[in-house]
Amino acid sequence: MKRFVSIVLAVMLVLGVSAAYAEKAGDGLLIGVVYKQSGNPYFQAAVTGFEKAAGELGFTFTHDGPDDGSSDGQIRIIENYIAQGVDAIAVSANDADALVSALQEAKAAGIKVVSWDAPVAAEGRDLDVEPASSKAIALQLLESIADSIDSEGQLAIVSAMATAPNQNLWISFIEDALKNDPAYSKIEYVGTVYGDDEYTKSYDETLGLINLYPNLKGIITPTTAGAPAVAKCVMDEGKSIKVTGLTLASDMAEYIKAGVCDATFLWNPIELGYAAAYAAVALVKGDITGAVGETFDVPGVGTLSIEQSTAVNDVGELAPVDGTISYLNKLNSFTVETVDEWVNIL
Amino acid sequence: MAIMNSLRKLPRKLLRWETMLVALLVLMCLIFNRQDTARQLAGLSKRDAFNLASVVKGLRPYMLYSFMTLGMMLILAIGDIDISTGAAAALSVAVLGSTYQALCKAGVPAWLALTLSVVICLIAGGLCGAANGLLVTRFNELFPMIITLATQLFYRGIGYLILGGGTMTFKNDATFDLFKKLYNTVEIGGVSVPVMLIYFLLLAVIYYVWIHLTASGRKIFALGTNARATYFSGVQTNRIKLSLFTLCGLMSAVTGIFFVGATSSSIRADSMMGYEMYAIAAAVLGGFSTSGGKGSVIGVVLSLIIFGVMKIGLGTLYGFADSMVNLSVGVILILTTLLPNLIGDAGSLMRLCRRRMQSHVSSRAMQSGSIAPNGK
Repeated sequence: MKRFVSIVLAVMLVLGVSAAYAEKAGDGLLIGVVYKQSGNPYFQAAVTGFEKAAGELGFTFTHDGPDDGSSDGQIRIIENYIAQGVDAIAVSANDADALVSALQEAKAAGIKVVSWDAPVAAEGRDLDVEPASSKAIALQLLESIADSIDSEGQLAIVSAMATAPNQNLWISFIEDALKNDPAYSKIEYVGTVYGDDEYTKSYDETLGLINLYPNLKGIITPTTAGAPAVAKCVMDEGKSIKVTGLTLASDMAEYIKAGVCDATFLWNPIELGYAAAYAAVALVKGDITGAVGETFDVPGVGTLSIEQSTAVNDVGELAPVDGTISYLNKLNSFTVETVDEWVNIL
Repeated sequence: MAIMNSLRKLPRKLLRWETMLVALLVLMCLIFNRQDTARQLAGLSKRDAFNLASVVKGLRPYMLYSFMTLGMMLILAIGDIDISTGAAAALSVAVLGSTYQALCKAGVPAWLALTLSVVICLIAGGLCGAANGLLVTRFNELFPMIITLATQLFYRGIGYLILGGGTMTFKNDATFDLFKKLYNTVEIGGVSVPVMLIYFLLLAVIYYVWIHLTASGRKIFALGTNARATYFSGVQTNRIKLSLFTLCGLMSAVTGIFFVGATSSSIRADSMMGYEMYAIAAAVLGGFSTSGGKGSVIGVVLSLIIFGVMKIGLGTLYGFADSMVNLSVGVILILTTLLPNLIGDAGSLMRLCRRRMQSHVSSRAMQSGSIAPNGK
């Protein structure tokens, strides 16, 4: 018994000592950040965004994610935050629907809920903050490839699944701009092929394109899974085709340095966390309520406006759905100069 | 004399596992309470974060695997193990969701569809358990760990076949949303008590009566202590094993049903990963040994509460991240399960010393000639 007590006491002492981790603020705002999984560099980057905002706005925040990336783990963390009496919860949801009840409880307790990166269903949030609208992504990719090929010559798209709604939406925005924007009048769009997000299929489809259109100048590949295969194929064939797309920095560093890609894009998780923090504080202070038409300022990013959320409906069109959303509409480019900073994060 | 006897028995009573668990719980509460007060005094916390009401309500997410633990502890009591329960639970709720969907599409009234799908879900869980039980009893030479590892992968795979990678939801379906009520709390004397906790305690009472107060419960522990002797005393050991595995599967399905309630009535094939490990951990801390033959329901109830309180305290009061909390639970688990062995070792060491001393004394006595060697 004595030994038992002494062991337990020793453990508890250790725990007592480690209490130094507790936050420091007095009566400032307390924000609880929930991300999908602990130990993920993407979310660690987002947390630095929250840190930056905390320094500027003077709030305190705690951050946590389940180590198994499960939604019940996120529910545990959310309930924990409710018990701590946080003022706002900023969550990147593992599952849009599973967290709704827990977050509704938070809202009933007067806590403001912002989802960021991965939205929570409308009933469970006050506002969703996302990197870029489909249109902004599409136009950014098109602008980049037009720069690379001097707005002239044949252009193709290598997509993921033919049924992927977000891919098709981006492609339709690209097609629209190609048709209607005079800046792109000299670009000849030859069509889209589908690599199904498989490496070999994406590679083979790209090879087919290259053989079919010997004068092909540019390829847009808005899929992180397909992009490395497309760039590899272009490099293997030794063609002077330029590639751009939505990609991870770590996948593409090799091809960016080889000159196959002038720039590829993805959003910046640091800015995303930063903007989510500003949104959360604005909600808590009552500057915004999360209603359509309101705006809030995020230094260095701009004035973000709140819009109705949209989703792709059954016929493949963008239709309004419940809930409101704010877009940063700012993508991060990976170029020869910047890609090395990002390879360990994205 | 009677007083002396009971006094002599006192240390042994104090050494009872449940008493230790209570001591651990009380100690934890004292320390957490001190930390809570310190935080409030330092202005770190806006509210009293550690009190009866907050702990009882906070136990809710940690009650999810409590039902699975009730099934698991009996598997441990017979000296077997079942690591397929998390997958069996996920498969059961996949069956639940798809059955409900199919029945509704076929025009069955929603309430009937719900009842039927819950029954079929429980049957699916029971079948998963029964399959484990059949394999374990038919193939004695295989370890239950390996058999249930195989079925774990198998059940998880079927779950994915049924649901795919996505989430099955029933938006705006008032009937299916009844599941959410399972995750509600009810006000009892100003404390929001999780509905799950009440169901669990009721079930725990039933389990207590069954395994500690009836002959069929005694047979389970007998089987775990010495399977061969139990078999030769006329107990159908295989039948007991099979029914306990089936029951464990059934309890997994029950866990799954509550899990659906917890996750806003959404269903995923990759849910409840690792729950079997939580259940084993809770059962082991509760006093069930993996070699079988011992354990008590009270210990399991206490250990589940200890896990919950510990996670609440470390998470809210010490700001431990989720992964750090799990680490601490692991440390406590190792320490507490090692403890009986340490105490046992210390006890035998002391006995050994005493015997040495005695033999020393007697050999001295022999040398001085007061006792004649070999009776001469």
